[in-house]
Amino acid sequence: MIVTQLLINGIIAGSIYALVAVGFSLIYATNRFVHFAHGGFVTVSAYLIYTFFSLWGLNFYVSALLTIIVAGFLGWLVYKLVYTPLKKRKASNAVLLIASVGLLILLENLMLLIFGADVKSLGYIKIKKGIEILGGIITPLQIVIVVLVVVLLLILWFFMKKTRLGKTMRAVADNPNLSNIIGINAKRICYLSFIIGTALAGIAGILVALEQNIEPIMGTGLMIKGFTGAIIGGVTSVPGSVLGSYLLGLVENFGIWFLPSGYKDAIAFVLLFIFLLFKPTGILGLRGKYKEQKV
Amino acid sequence: MIEAYFIHLLIIIGIYIILATSLNLALGYTGLLNLGHIAFFGIGAYVSTLLSVNTSLPFLLIFILAGFVASIFGYLLMLATNKLRGDYLALATLGFNFVIYSLFLNWTSLTRGPLGIPGIPKPSIFGFVFQSNLSYLIFVAVIAFLVVGFLHLLLKSSYGKLLEAVRDNELACKVLGKNTFKMKWQAMAVSAFFAGIAGSLYAHYITFIDPSSFSLYEIILILTIVLVGGLATLKGSIAATVIILLIPEVLRFFALPSSILGPARQIIYALLLILILMYRPRGLFGKVDLG
Repeated sequence: MIVTQLLINGIIAGSIYALVAVGFSLIYATNRFVHFAHGGFVTVSAYLIYTFFSLWGLNFYVSALLTIIVAGFLGWLVYKLVYTPLKKRKASNAVLLIASVGLLILLENLMLLIFGADVKSLGYIKIKKGIEILGGIITPLQIVIVVLVVVLLLILWFFMKKTRLGKTMRAVADNPNLSNIIGINAKRICYLSFIIGTALAGIAGILVALEQNIEPIMGTGLMIKGFTGAIIGGVTSVPGSVLGSYLLGLVENFGIWFLPSGYKDAIAFVLLFIFLLFKPTGILGLRGKYKEQKV
Repeated sequence: MIEAYFIHLLIIIGIYIILATSLNLALGYTGLLNLGHIAFFGIGAYVSTLLSVNTSLPFLLIFILAGFVASIFGYLLMLATNKLRGDYLALATLGFNFVIYSLFLNWTSLTRGPLGIPGIPKPSIFGFVFQSNLSYLIFVAVIAFLVVGFLHLLLKSSYGKLLEAVRDNELACKVLGKNTFKMKWQAMAVSAFFAGIAGSLYAHYITFIDPSSFSLYEIILILTIVLVGGLATLKGSIAATVIILLIPEVLRFFALPSSILGPARQIIYALLLILILMYRPRGLFGKVDLG
């Protein structure tokens, strides 16, 4: 059944996009600038786990933990070295966006310089024969990835809704000035959400490395998808960006019914275009007025 | 040998001067945050290539058509994104670039996709074929001179001042009864036209094009040039084109393998872009801030 297969493919793709999108959207919600280099951190994390696990021969779980920690640390470093000085100078959002595109290119090419252009693979889990569900085929690894992403998203949802830090983050996202007035250190929250967002990019990097080949330019493609998912779902809303990502995964995979598969990226961008033009706040995003405020 | 190398560098510099000054018209003077300029460059290159490989139209006509088709896309892009501002406009135009790029890559029946199109003929005007690189350099130099001269006169005129007024305060311009949308699409179309002819010059010089010449990396290069030179200054864009294109040439003296040279170039450009935004946001001669 081609429909089930496309559905399964859409869900798998959507899961990875969602993981990229939530990190991006967490950063955008509090910091209010487009952090395009988020995809670069996914790439860096994939190479980190490759280094720890395949080159240094560490235990997989230790490698994964190390990758997430190092990714978070690198996020902090970049925020401190690049974004904080720009924000202090009251640079416009456009400047931050262009700087982040520069950062993305920088990270990708650093990986290219260090590891070379040939693709690497992790080879932790051997590719097994797929299981058939209603005529569609899914490998056990893909099931693990989808389940893991869903669990992670639930944890994140719980974190944002129930914990004190999560609530504070949502308060800053909602109204930075007001949260400053009531004594929330909005700058610290911005830092923290950037670090958590980048750590999520770390997890995304690990999962992508498990399933696909690792190559220097992988981040740009994932960034486009995650970012598109975030925008169409509503970039300031974490659940919205999850919804948008799954929607994108499905639209893309059903889209190749009509178009060659090479057009996947174009489909994503056409969707993005439509939303930017007609509903820039996305499906679940905040409405109007918030754009003027800056931390 | 060394002469040939210099002539090659000068041709590339000439083409990029056209690209940089035309982007500055949109980005610097009119305040349109266009990150899709390379798409116009690519459209010009592909239109020119396809017409000269598949038809027997005279080169000058093809050359003008390359610019014209690009400017139509410029108009359409402006039409579609008229409501967007700031980083949203930047994203939409960046998206436009990706869509055009994937068309080049996937519309294989027309563009041969990643294989590219080889054997693009050297241009000939009234029977004179620009076969040697020296004659091509003179051709590029004349075109670049005409483009910069045109832009200079345009931007000095009252029309140019109006464009800057649209950038500084669109609402005020509207209040004065100016059709700001018309001015914006005109600026974008002119900017795209010149990018298109730059693409044509590029295609007929290299005689081979493939989609990779019009990727995200190229946007970084052209943005770096315009921002290093400064917004709303033609002088700055020209100076920055020369400087930025010559910097990685220094690397050649270290005899690095090409697997290192490529990424090293991109790293230099990306770092330059970030550093200029951080420490000298107005670049060399810039008059206004970005966004």
